[in-house]
Amino acid sequence: MSYFDPGFIFLVVPILLLIYNLVPKKFRPIILLVFSFGLFIFISKWLVVFLILSILTIYFVANYLDKLNKKRNELIKEEPDNKKAIKEKYKKYKKRILILGIIINVSFLFFFKYLNFFATNTNLLLDLFNIDFKFRIMSFLAPIGISFYTLEALSYILDVYYEKIEADKNILRVALYLSFFPQIMEGPISRYSDTAKDLYAGYKVTYNNFCFGYQRILYGFVKKIIIADRLNFLVNTVFDNYHTYSGATILVGVIGYTVMLYMEFSGTMDIVIGIGGFFGIKIKENFRQPFFAKNISEFWTRWHISLGQWFKDYIFYPVSLSKRMKKLTLKARKILGNRFGPLISGAIALFAVWSLNGLWHGAGYTFLFYGMYQFTLILLGNIFEPTINNTCKKLHINRQNIVYRVFQSVKMTCFVFIGELFFRAPTVKAGFGMLKRIFTDFNLHNTLKSNQLFTLGLDIKDYFIIIVTLIVIFIVGLLKEKNHNIRTEISKKNIIIRWMIYYMLILSIIIFGAYGPGYIPVDPIYADF
Amino acid sequence: MERLIEILEELQPDVDFNTVENLIDGRYLDSLTILSLVAEIEEEFDIEIPTVEIIPSNFNSAKSIWELIEKLKEQ
Amino acid sequence: MRNVVKALLFTVILFILIIISEVVLIPGLDIRKNGIFKQANYELLGEKKNTIDVIFLGDSLVYSSISPMEIWNNYGYTTFDCTEAAQVISDAYSYLKVAIENQHPKIIMMEANVMFRNPSKRKFKDKIAYILKQLVPIAKYHDNWKKYIGGFSKNNWINPDKGYKYITDIKSSKNKNYMHFSNKYEMIPEQNIHYIEKIIDLCKENNVKLVLVSMPSQKSWRYKKHNTASKIALENNLEFIDLNLINLNIDWKTDTKDNGSHLNYLGAKKVSNYIGKYLMNTNLVVDHRNDIRYESWYKALEKYEKVSFNK
Repeated sequence: MSYFDPGFIFLVVPILLLIYNLVPKKFRPIILLVFSFGLFIFISKWLVVFLILSILTIYFVANYLDKLNKKRNELIKEEPDNKKAIKEKYKKYKKRILILGIIINVSFLFFFKYLNFFATNTNLLLDLFNIDFKFRIMSFLAPIGISFYTLEALSYILDVYYEKIEADKNILRVALYLSFFPQIMEGPISRYSDTAKDLYAGYKVTYNNFCFGYQRILYGFVKKIIIADRLNFLVNTVFDNYHTYSGATILVGVIGYTVMLYMEFSGTMDIVIGIGGFFGIKIKENFRQPFFAKNISEFWTRWHISLGQWFKDYIFYPVSLSKRMKKLTLKARKILGNRFGPLISGAIALFAVWSLNGLWHGAGYTFLFYGMYQFTLILLGNIFEPTINNTCKKLHINRQNIVYRVFQSVKMTCFVFIGELFFRAPTVKAGFGMLKRIFTDFNLHNTLKSNQLFTLGLDIKDYFIIIVTLIVIFIVGLLKEKNHNIRTEISKKNIIIRWMIYYMLILSIIIFGAYGPGYIPVDPIYADF
Repeated sequence: MERLIEILEELQPDVDFNTVENLIDGRYLDSLTILSLVAEIEEEFDIEIPTVEIIPSNFNSAKSIWELIEKLKEQ
Repeated sequence: MRNVVKALLFTVILFILIIISEVVLIPGLDIRKNGIFKQANYELLGEKKNTIDVIFLGDSLVYSSISPMEIWNNYGYTTFDCTEAAQVISDAYSYLKVAIENQHPKIIMMEANVMFRNPSKRKFKDKIAYILKQLVPIAKYHDNWKKYIGGFSKNNWINPDKGYKYITDIKSSKNKNYMHFSNKYEMIPEQNIHYIEKIIDLCKENNVKLVLVSMPSQKSWRYKKHNTASKIALENNLEFIDLNLINLNIDWKTDTKDNGSHLNYLGAKKVSNYIGKYLMNTNLVVDHRNDIRYESWYKALEKYEKVSFNK
């Protein structure tokens, strides 16, 4: 079940907004909390226990850390000479508490999402050595959004540990931060300092916020219902039976999947940000025109931004700047020089980031492979950066040149396609099988002659609608890339043009949307992660 | 400050570090370059930059990096 | 206050635009006469007047079991599935009235399962979906924009499904005896009895033969229901065909789309053929295959075969 469907957004949410606005300001956050928990229970039933446990642990861990901080500061004031020793001592205490908090939260995640993967693999290993013992494989339904809210929970206690923020004394605010309903299913992964205060402020839903919110939501539905849902059948069919299709059709399937993933995920983010906007909460953007990126490394700062930022802040820098790594860097710089020396520790940290990033998406070898693929691309890109720089200079290629930029984007997009191919493939082996067919059995002539592309649930008119809609989305992206604030610009236009835009959006969803008989909507892809 | 600019130019020759104010947000410095930068600064100025300080607002311009160095030197 | 007026105006214009698109997109000959809502809700109204000889009433069991195009192809009879997912008997009655007004059917085949469905126990979700479909008929027909692209040929509007829903998915079940003999009778909800009588009367008045029939389903049909349906048939002098007790060679490993609940295309072919043979034996319907007035059925068949070939 997904609540990103129009029925929920256009029928249930308005009722929530009405109730929210009618109650006194003080009770508004409670309304949000009750609603969020209600939805959680509706979807995940008794598993809500785990959400509550996460809330309780981070609340108490954070407050304990805060207490230690205050005590330490007092002690330092009393004996300034002992500053260093006191600091060290308290750091040790704090670390113990922090690790306890992390272990509890990560173990829930591990239990629900990774236990089976590890059990299956251990069983295979035991089999290999003829040991007659097997772990029982149990299947659990994980609490909804556990991958997302666990990262939020960790960021909260880590931020308190690093003293970036103070622990919250109000447990309800912590609960709302973790459980806020639009975000819990597919993110974005917010930081406490970004949303918690506004979430609990109980701002009134104003007319402007209401309009702006629904505009953003409509745009999200255009992406989801017109494009993503339309591609669903094609993608599933091609990926599940790839050996019966030609390389050309597989390529269409792979491109289709990447487009579908982008449209589904970024469309959902539009909806989430729109809903946040109703309540005056500025949820950070999770996408910034990823396909305009120059290289893979930049791509990941524009696609699922909140996840990349999380890994950067809590894995990459802490690992690469740890004491041991710094020593390593120092040594490496002496041998490899200033450019490549720090790359060693960087590469190790990057490896950690992408292994975890792959696994975060799911327990499976395809995801691990996907992570390693991104790791390799980013590392190679960094190693060869100076070489490419010099070559360009020698050949007098202007790297800001539009032709060069397009070349870069196309190259990067191809790398993305390959990555997403493995991401969606049923197994790594199948992924290679598909890749092989694309390169060895493209067979464009036969594909066109046998009308293979039209046996996948889409006729030529469907392809046409997809392409036209993508062009519109591309133009919007281009304008955003050029720093146009489209919403403000639209709101300055006169009412006729404005309303025409809205009517066009609504009617195109109603008419060209892929819903009703003959269509199966995409399940929220990221909600499974 | 001059020494800092030198270090920066060594890492990224194409950028005018006296004027650019979005080194991170504009992706002039990516995360691996930051590592090199941190290593160089730590050695050059004999300070230690804690992980917490590695945030865009501290690294977006040469000026803000310099302010960070000054702050850490005092501690 | 200004904002409220603006919001109201916005909504009113939106509704007008939606209604305009509905007029453009809903198929049919008589939108003006029937109104959008009626035209959209009764698919049968898209057919030419007085061309359909047999009407099937019922729920999803009917639209997944009987494909009128198969019957046309093999026997030349014109039939139509007048169905609704989880149809309740009062809706079946309304559909029947519309059907008799617009067509002169010779035979009505009513699926017996509808008699047992308690309308007051209809799932909340189904109720909402039903109301929404009534209110926004465009949801069902929005894909018709495709018919305007690539020429305005009248052929674009020919409906190849005639109420049938084409499904090729296979989710197998086991071949088992699910019709265990029983002496008991399944209860019919009080309010349904009234409508059963009304349907029988309406058919009598219009001189239409009414037949009760049950569609093969391992999950929806039981011997208790068979007993009740037989009893009603006997009391009212109707025929009752229980396809769950007749050997149609249905292979539940391949012929079902959802583990024995509904048939898929493979199963529907078998049921449709049996029904065709039954209709032939009634001597009430005529083979129209050589009749020039039924040319559009040939075009529909072409389209139907293209779909069944492609999928």
